[in-house]
Amino acid sequence: MLTTGFKLWFGLFLAAVFAAVFAGYTSGATETGPISLGWKGGVGNHVSYTILVFSAGVLALFGLVAVAFRDADAEAQAEVLGLEDAPEAQIEVGNSLWPIFGALGVGSIGVGLVVHPAIFVIGLCIVAAIAVEWTMTNWSEKVSGDHAVNTAARENLMRPIEIPVLGTIGVGVLVLAVSRILLASSVTGAVWVATVVGLVIFGAAILISQRPELPRVAVRGILFAGCVAILVLGIVTAVSGEREFHHKGGDAHHDDTHVEADH
Amino acid sequence: MFSCEDHGRHHGALESQAFLVSGLATGIAPTRFALRASVGITADPPSLVWSEGARIFRRGHCNRPLTREVSMTTTDTAASDSGSTALEQAITTSDPLVLSRIWGFGGMTAVLVGAVASFLVGIERLDLASANIFSGADGLFQFWSAHRVAFVLLGALPALMALATTVVPRQCGGLLIFPRAAAMACWIWLIGAGMTVVGFLVDGGLGTPGGGGQRQATALTIMGILLVIGGLLLASVCVVTTIVSGRRAGMGLRDLPFTAWTVLVAATVWMGMLPVLAANTVLAYVDLRGRPALRFGAEDAIWEQVSWMFTHPAIYVLALPVLGIALDVVEATARVDQANRDVLLVATAAFGFLSFGAFAQTFFDTPGTPIAEEALSVVAAFAIVPVALAIVGGLADTLRRGAANLGSKPPAETVCALLAALLVLAGTAVGAIRVVAPLELLETSVTGAHFSLVLGASILGIGAGFYHWGEEMVGPKGRRPGLFLLGGLAVAGGTILAGVADLFSGLLDQSDFTGVDLSTAGNPGSGVDGLNVVSMLGSLVLLGGLALWMLVGSLHTAANQKGAT
Repeated sequence: MLTTGFKLWFGLFLAAVFAAVFAGYTSGATETGPISLGWKGGVGNHVSYTILVFSAGVLALFGLVAVAFRDADAEAQAEVLGLEDAPEAQIEVGNSLWPIFGALGVGSIGVGLVVHPAIFVIGLCIVAAIAVEWTMTNWSEKVSGDHAVNTAARENLMRPIEIPVLGTIGVGVLVLAVSRILLASSVTGAVWVATVVGLVIFGAAILISQRPELPRVAVRGILFAGCVAILVLGIVTAVSGEREFHHKGGDAHHDDTHVEADH
Repeated sequence: MFSCEDHGRHHGALESQAFLVSGLATGIAPTRFALRASVGITADPPSLVWSEGARIFRRGHCNRPLTREVSMTTTDTAASDSGSTALEQAITTSDPLVLSRIWGFGGMTAVLVGAVASFLVGIERLDLASANIFSGADGLFQFWSAHRVAFVLLGALPALMALATTVVPRQCGGLLIFPRAAAMACWIWLIGAGMTVVGFLVDGGLGTPGGGGQRQATALTIMGILLVIGGLLLASVCVVTTIVSGRRAGMGLRDLPFTAWTVLVAATVWMGMLPVLAANTVLAYVDLRGRPALRFGAEDAIWEQVSWMFTHPAIYVLALPVLGIALDVVEATARVDQANRDVLLVATAAFGFLSFGAFAQTFFDTPGTPIAEEALSVVAAFAIVPVALAIVGGLADTLRRGAANLGSKPPAETVCALLAALLVLAGTAVGAIRVVAPLELLETSVTGAHFSLVLGASILGIGAGFYHWGEEMVGPKGRRPGLFLLGGLAVAGGTILAGVADLFSGLLDQSDFTGVDLSTAGNPGSGVDGLNVVSMLGSLVLLGGLALWMLVGSLHTAANQKGAT
């Protein structure tokens, strides 16, 4: 029996074929061109004829797929799979970070193409990382019916990779940001900045360790705010530039020896 | 609410599973799941085809309590995770209801922005001798093209996606397939929409006739549109997959409600057209970057390459799901079964086929007959009129038979849905008049009238859909039928005023894009000033109606959020 989906796609396929032939004959085709796909004569306007014939092919393919899979009818699938009952549809999945980070990666690629290659590369890295993470998440969710087992399977595989990689990236980015801040400050100012930032971090760590009842959300908030502050300052100072460095011996010497000017 | 207990398991593997699902009985009620029992570990190896993890929610008619478990890992968070902040929950969600609010609010905001741009262009058109609002022809063109992009790619399509991701899965009796991909689609669209808006605001846009735009800003706009297309395509894939393979057991495609059916047809056409639009933008982008543009990236050529998306026949694909919404809304409120159901299924499928417009690209016209004057385009323009008439006839028949149930004060959504269907019919009629060769209307403001009528119908139908299913999407409290109806009448009235005025202006030879002086407007001494005033007033009324709808939506959401807390 022909399925409804097949009838839909096949009907559209026929419409596309008739439209192609009609378009051919009304745009200067020869007698046999449009009905022989251009083998025996011209097809008229090539653009519209090609698009319509190609559409017809795609629609025919849809129709064949629809009838082959019986419109994805659950009972037909059960029969193919040798199950007594129809297979279940997917469950509702939990919240996930990957969609939004994936979108941010794609957005970075788009912005990077227009603005700066570095942003483009960062976007590519994000998309690649998300592709791996998302794949592993999906794999782990199908390991068993027990989400605790699934969680363990995923963590066993991914945590040894995620923690070192994310730690390295995090430390690298923070070091880079702090170095931009220090390089933008005067010689004495850099010492003060390093001292004050170090004291703030040390003090915050002591404060948090003294209050174990502090909610996890608050700790995460403090860490997030601190990292964002350092990153923003790093970006601002990177844009404003480093302090002046005077090379020892003037322009004639191009060695690495230089003295810093204190402002 | 009803629920269903899932017992039998193949190979006896997951007998301890029990999952709670609500809302399948009506296909519309809120879907809220709760964990009720843990899943036992089985000795069975996971199947590559239907893994045990995926065999949790049984498809098919259920009349027993269903319980379910949300599958997640440590990188995922449950919606009910008390450790998650509201922000974390919002950005990590894969709940179609939340996503639909982002699509819906973002889309309707873009429609509002498009209406503002349309109104400003309308004011400028009153005084063609000088560009008082905009810096010149280029500035005016940027706003003129922005309002069409905002209405279609940033507004109507995403708003339709809001309904497609929530209403359609429930009509199919299941869940949205690929919910995380749908979430990603939503975020990609949002980022792309932001880039597009920024691109237009920083002197970019989709090119200008005088070449006065900023190159990098133009590139940013194009890239934003590319992301918007990517997001819409991915969401379309999720919706089509849900309809094709996510239906409950025993439900054939012929059994689908009209909204789901028309979304299936429309999303298929979107998946055929949007990649072509993406190819157009990539071509323009590649040529635009790096060196002086050769052809496709030239400032004065970009708009023409993408303009096919905003005119006959591609514009009709916005109206197709609206016809489905109208059929469902009228059937539900009139409380009678739709007669000649199969005829209407075929008619809506034919409407979708006639909406495929990727071939109608005037930019690639070969010498001789322009594509818009070729038989294929002309026949499609005329053929769609009787198809639309058949669908509206079906609606009228249902109304006639269910008139007694509607009473003297028909529901607000019924009025809006009917007006939307009538506007679609009017739009197809104007589209047919537009292609009559001796009248030479293709470059006139009849094109704008056609766009206004079809787009206005689409917005009106989307609004009717939001209101009809609003209780399930947002909540039962704070619905204001009077205000909604007032807004709907304003949207319909504004659309008619703008559409009819532009139709007659076009017949008097006013150009679609008027430029900033009388000579480019093409109407020196033709006396269309009065019609332009009417059109501008129409834009103002439309803007007022949309603002009222936004107010109604905000009040509705606020009332239910307050109730939830």
